[in-house]
Parts: sequence; structure tokens; C-alpha cells
Amino acid sequence: MPFNSQTLEDSPFRGEPDWLRDRRRTAFAAYERLPMPSRTDEEWRRTDVTQFKPAAYAQFESPNGHAHGAPLTDVAGWIRHDGRVYTSLDHKSGNLDNPLGHVILEPLAIAARNHKALIEPRLFSLAQSDRDHFTALHSAFFTGGTFLYVPEGVVIDQPIVSQHFSHKGGTSVLPHTVIVAGRGARFSFLDEYIGEEDEEAAYRSGSAEIFVGEGADVSYVSIQKWGRKAWHLADQRARLEKDARLRLFNVTLGGHFSKTRVEASLVGPGSSAELKGIYLASGKQFFDFHTLQDHQVGNTTSDLLFKGALQDTAKAVYAGLIRIEKGAARSDAYQANRNLVLSEHAKATSIPMLEIDNNDVRCTHGATVGPVDPMSMFYLQSRGIPATTAKRMIVQGFFGEVLERIPFEQARKLVETELEARLG
Amino acid sequence: MATVPKQIDVGSDYKEKYGFFVPEDYIFKAKRGLNPEIVTEISWMKKEPEWMLKMRLRSLEIFRKKPMPTWGADLSVIDFENIFYYLKAADKQSKTWEDLPPDIKKTYDRLGVPEAERKFLAGVSAQYESEVVYHSLHEELSKKGVIFTDTDSALRDHPELFKEYFGTIIPPADNKFAALNTAVWSGGSFIYVPKGVRVDIPLQAYFRINAENMGQFERTLIICDEGSFVHYIEGCTAPIYTTDSLHSAVVEIIVKKNARCRYTTIQNWSTNVFNLVTKRALAYADATMEWVDGNLGSQITMKYPSVYLMEPGAKGDVLSVAFAGKGQHQDAGGKMIHVAPNTTSTITSKSISKGGGRTSYRGHIKMYPDAKNSKSFVKCDALLLDDESRSDTYPYNDVDAENVTLGHEATVSKVSDEQLFYLMSRGITRNEAETMIVNGFIEPFTKELPLEYAVELNRLIQLEMEGSVG
Repeated sequence: MPFNSQTLEDSPFRGEPDWLRDRRRTAFAAYERLPMPSRTDEEWRRTDVTQFKPAAYAQFESPNGHAHGAPLTDVAGWIRHDGRVYTSLDHKSGNLDNPLGHVILEPLAIAARNHKALIEPRLFSLAQSDRDHFTALHSAFFTGGTFLYVPEGVVIDQPIVSQHFSHKGGTSVLPHTVIVAGRGARFSFLDEYIGEEDEEAAYRSGSAEIFVGEGADVSYVSIQKWGRKAWHLADQRARLEKDARLRLFNVTLGGHFSKTRVEASLVGPGSSAELKGIYLASGKQFFDFHTLQDHQVGNTTSDLLFKGALQDTAKAVYAGLIRIEKGAARSDAYQANRNLVLSEHAKATSIPMLEIDNNDVRCTHGATVGPVDPMSMFYLQSRGIPATTAKRMIVQGFFGEVLERIPFEQARKLVETELEARLG
Repeated sequence: MATVPKQIDVGSDYKEKYGFFVPEDYIFKAKRGLNPEIVTEISWMKKEPEWMLKMRLRSLEIFRKKPMPTWGADLSVIDFENIFYYLKAADKQSKTWEDLPPDIKKTYDRLGVPEAERKFLAGVSAQYESEVVYHSLHEELSKKGVIFTDTDSALRDHPELFKEYFGTIIPPADNKFAALNTAVWSGGSFIYVPKGVRVDIPLQAYFRINAENMGQFERTLIICDEGSFVHYIEGCTAPIYTTDSLHSAVVEIIVKKNARCRYTTIQNWSTNVFNLVTKRALAYADATMEWVDGNLGSQITMKYPSVYLMEPGAKGDVLSVAFAGKGQHQDAGGKMIHVAPNTTSTITSKSISKGGGRTSYRGHIKMYPDAKNSKSFVKCDALLLDDESRSDTYPYNDVDAENVTLGHEATVSKVSDEQLFYLMSRGITRNEAETMIVNGFIEPFTKELPLEYAVELNRLIQLEMEGSVG
């Protein structure tokens, strides 16, 4: 089933409403029109996609219903995309139904039919389909993905979990998440992308559009652990209204190639975005992160910290931009990228950028790339700790600061376990 | 239009300093435009050897082929066909100040050159238009074997030394404007400091643009032999004209083993000049290269002095200050290319934007695989004086080497209310207080300048600040 206009009319997308079909067609036209990014484009200068041929993976993974592992416990709801979709929403765990509406947790394609008014104006409005060749491809052919709507005033204590699975290589798995938080809503959400470590090369994405309404408080965590040969391209973008709060945490572990954009637009005064990320790359993995803190109005706060450790011949590229627009007075923005280079041949590029168009602001950014501090190693070894253990302790300490900022327990445990296993 | 010559007082006579120009009186003026005939004519006028003509023509080809940069400032308004690429203002080199043609002398009188020279200059190589016309060198320096001359004379008098280094640090194909400069270059300074010689007094040159639609394409080459030291200062000022002018210089520097070179620039072109300059130095074992780069004038400046750290122990330093007022865009910064192990570099950037001006820090730290155990640190501070102005930071950091440490820090802020309150509560007006804060902000730069320059810079800031904010 190739990536062409015929496929769009075919089985994977059968049953979708016409408006969504039109969206896909528009995206496909953009895909055909937009060229492959080349190394002369600033964003792709250090990111080589010449070896990526999406057509080689133009087959959607067929359902087998065998999800890896058990679903998480202590959650308010879960949705598992594994061919067949399982959803569950625990109406006892919070005030899920109220006079203003019900919480909706559905696969995106189904929700598109059931809740057109909620989705149509929002879909691809943040993660725009015509941004580049790959966003267009993702938008045209996205499969799976979750829609979560939490209406005004609803507070959910336990997290809602969305799991996306892949079982074999040579295929495409392209989930797209849309989250809408009504006024004053508060909840946590986890997107988990799970593949087999050693599956063959494949095409993966995992984009998210997050709409944080006035006074709402949203925590969003994504954990990307596709197979080690996957090509992963994703866009995570949030929009924050007045007094809204977002805590977004990106964990990148999988893929041979992973490029993720993490972006927040602060459009309402008093809004605040915390964008955190950790990545651990080993072998020949290549990770690229492009972040944006877009302060469109004043009295807004953003705080970004991405920390990564690189082993073997892994490479990481970080490029982040703080943009303070003209009227955005009294904005406060912070941006930092820290890279710990654990092997002789690992490489890191770090480009923290500022574009400041208002003087009444406070903006600070920093970037570091460096090896394990020899003084710390010496200190630990002088106390009888073997070098490898000492090194691991230092890496754990390095990540510790940011792991504490994972907004909810279940995700923190998942990430800690995962890191421990990978650090050996 | 020429008025009675008098010593300029920067503090009280701003208009006078920037509003003047003397009538054009040229011995030779090439036609407008850019083509092989004009390039050949320039070379012929200068009686250059064949290899230089060939290099010029080859560079013109490269210039034609290279695209305009798509990043940074908008350069599309430059009309390369509407520029004079060569002007010769006087027919022979003057040996002493008194011998200078009166017109030119008048211009320099207003710039304060003679006084500055009396006080501390070792030599003046003052460039009037495209040709170095005035040149003096201390007896002492000549005896030590130091060569300090204009670049045209150097090609004639020191052909072997010249050919060995010219265009080797910045080849014509490096970028579009380096190619343009190599095709049409004229004037600039040539300095050779022999092994172990320390030049205690700064050498300096004044550059000026004085004809409408005229480009200035000076070419500077500095060679510091092993264990030597030299400090070179360039400062520029230009009269105000209505149409855009282009200044596109190339500066090449070689700092050999254990040598140290400092290159100080105070760029104060009038605000219609496009200032697109390529500056690069190679630093060898345990050598030190320091760029002290102040950008105050011009409409658009794109300039990123760089140091290639070629051998172990080499050290590079860039100290950059940019001030952008109304209609100005200062796109400045620095580049450090670590090629060898155990090399260190620092870049410190201070920028101030005011009245709708825009400053951009743009920098590149590159650590090649061999640059083990190297260190680099970049610090950028930006001050925004009002809400019309803009500041950007674009640092590019590429690390391909093991065991290296790289750090980058930047802050953007306004003049702090606490500081203003403190000063104003002591009876200082808001404007004075802000001027003091700005002068304090760029102090790390001013303190690296010779006293006279530091005083002049503080006065310039004072003038720029007058009636500005509050």
C-alpha cells in the first residue's frame, strides 16, 4: 500500500468522515509539492535524511492485538493502540462527568466522526501539515493516535495513558495525539511509543497537539522507545491560553534516527510552560531536537531544560529558540541544554538561540557539552568505587535533577527503570 | 562645502564630525560596475604582477558564481553594478604629514590624526579612499625589521613574503564577499613582525570612505613570526551620504609559535554603509590571537572574526561589542575553529540595541576530531534600551572531538530598575544614569582599548544616548 492518493481512499482510512479525508488529501498534496529537506536548509544542516526512503515502509502495521507488557495500574484511563484499540476510563477515579460535559478518550479517527466540532478546528492547527515534507506525509497517513477532551472544571488525579505499539520492521506506525483541556481542567497524560528493540528499519512518528485552556493545568509526558533501527519524526506543539500551565516532558530513547520538535506558544497572559527533556543515545543513534518557546504576549513564563548523555558513536543535535514577540513585556524565559559525552566518539551539537523583540524581559540560556568531570571520577574512585560504577553514578546524578521534574509518579518510575536498564 | 579646518571635539560637535565631507578630487576613478575589463584596469593601474591579475580575474568568476548569503541581514538592495571599484586620490605616497595634499590633510585634521600620532602612534597608514596615501614609520621599528606598509606597496616591495601568504588564510572561494574583495582589493595594511620582536606601541590605520557609491575593499595581511607581538588598531569614520555604500574588507593574520597578535577595531561607519567583512587568523603552537571588535556605525554589519587554532596550546579570544541605533542591524560575533588538541578559546559579546536597532550575536564553535582536551567558552550579554529594539543570539556549537568542554551562556535584559532607582535617588538624571549603566555594561571592552579610544568610545555612547530613552 504505497504512499499515494489511492491509498488515502483505501481500507486503513475507510469509515473516516469526509472532512478528515479532505484534510488528508490536502496534506498529501503538500507532501507531493514540498521537497525533501536538504542540507542547505538551516534546520536540516546537521540532520541527514538522505538515507530515509519512506516509500520502503509504505505498509501499515497490521493488527495482531498482542500488546507488550501489562497495562499500567493506578491510572484513570488507558488506550492501547495495537491493531485493535482498547480503551478504558475509570469514572470513579475523578469527577469525570459533570454538567458541562464528559471526558472523551477515543482513537482519533473515531473521535473525528463523533466529535467533529471539537476536532475539526484544531487538527493540524498547531502541528501544521504543510510545514515540511515529513509533517505533510505524517498528516496525510497518520494511523492510530488518541483524542482526549477534558471539559471545563474537571480534575483527574491519576494519569491517562496512551500506548502505541509496533511489532515488526518495514512498516509505518504514525500516531497523532490531540489533547484539549477546558477551562480550569487539570490532568496528566502519557504517550508511550513502544517497539521491539531489534525490529527491522521502519517509519515511526508520534506527534501531539495540546490545547491548554484558560487556567487549565496539563502534564504531558512522551516516552519514545521504538526499535533501534526506526526512523522517527515527530512534532509536539502546545498552545497555552490565559493563566494556563503546561508541564511537558519528552523522553527519547529509541530509533536509529529521531527528530522531534517540541514547541509551546504562550498566547494568553499569565501562562507558563515547562519543557523538559532527557535523551540517552548509544550505538549509532542520532537524535535531533528543535525546541521553540514562543512568547506571543506578556507576563508569560517558559522554562526549558534538555539533558542528554551520549555513548559509543551516538550523535545529538539540539537547536532551541526563545522568541519574545513585540508586545510580550514582562516575559521570563529560560533555556538550557546539557550534554554529557561518555565516549570518545560521541558527538553533540548545541545551538540555543534567542530572538528578543521587547526590552522588559528576562531571558537566559545556556548550553554545555563535556565529558564526565575527572574530579568527580577521582573523588568516587578514591573512595573505592570502581570506575564503571562511578561513571554510572555520575550519569544518574546528571539525570536526577531533571527526572525529579517528571510530573507524575507512574511516568517517573517508567523512565527510571528504562534508564537503569539501558545504562547497565 | 569644505569649512575651516579645526580640531574636532567629539563631545560637543557630533554633527560636525559626521556631517562633513570634502570635495572629490581624484586622479583616477574607474568606471562604475564590475567586469573583467575594470578588474584588469585596476591591476594595470597598480602595475601588478601577472599572478595577481590572474587571481583577481579568477576571484571575479567565483564572485559571480557564489550565491548571496540567505541568512543574516537582507543584502538584496546592494547593486554591485552601481559602485566604483577603484579610486586613486593622490599620485604618490607622502613621506611626512606636511607633504599630504591639502584636501586630504583637512579631512584628517578633523579626525584628529596628527594629535593622536603625536601622542602615541608608532606609524600611521591612513587610507583615503582606496589608496594608502600617507605613511610614516618609526625609525626604531624599521631597525628591528618590522614592515608596516600599505598592501599595494607590499606587493611591490616584498613580493616573496606577500605571495607566500596572500589569500592562503581566506581563499577567494571562502565566501561571496571574500571573492569580491580579492577581485577588486585596494589598500589596506601589511605588517610583518620578525622573530622575537615585540612592538610596544599599537600600530594603527584610519580608513575612510569619501565618494558617493564607492566601495572600499581594503586588504590587510599581518604576519607575526615566532615569539613576536603586535597590536594593530583600525578605526573608521565616514561622512554621511544619501545612497548606500559598500565596505567589504578582508583581513588575514598568521600568528606563529609563541607569538601574540591583538587586532582592535572600532567600526563607526556612517549609517548608510553595508559593512561586510571577513577576518580570520591562524594561531600556531602556544600562540595567542585576540580580536577586539567594536561595531557602532554602519547600516548593516556582518562580521565574525575567527581564529583557527592549528597547533596544541593555541589560544583564541574574541571580545565583541555592538551598538545598534535606529535603522541599524549589527550582525556580529566570532568563530573559533579548534583543529588541534589542548586549544582554548573564549568569546565575549556585549550588545546594546536602542531606538529600533537590532543586534544579533552569531557565533560558531567547531571542535574537529583531533581537538582533544580543548575548551571553549562563550558569553553573550544583551541590553535592550526600549521596546522597539531587538536582540538575537545564534550560537552554533559543533563538537566532534573527545574530552572537550564547551559552554555557552547568554542573557538579554533591560536597564534594571533597581540600578536606575539607586542612581536617580542620588540626584542623577535618568538619562545620565542610563548612560552610566551602558558605559558600565561595555566596560570589559573599553578597558581593553588604549586610553584615547576608550575616552572617545565613552563620549560616543554618551552622544548615542542623548535624548534617547525615558
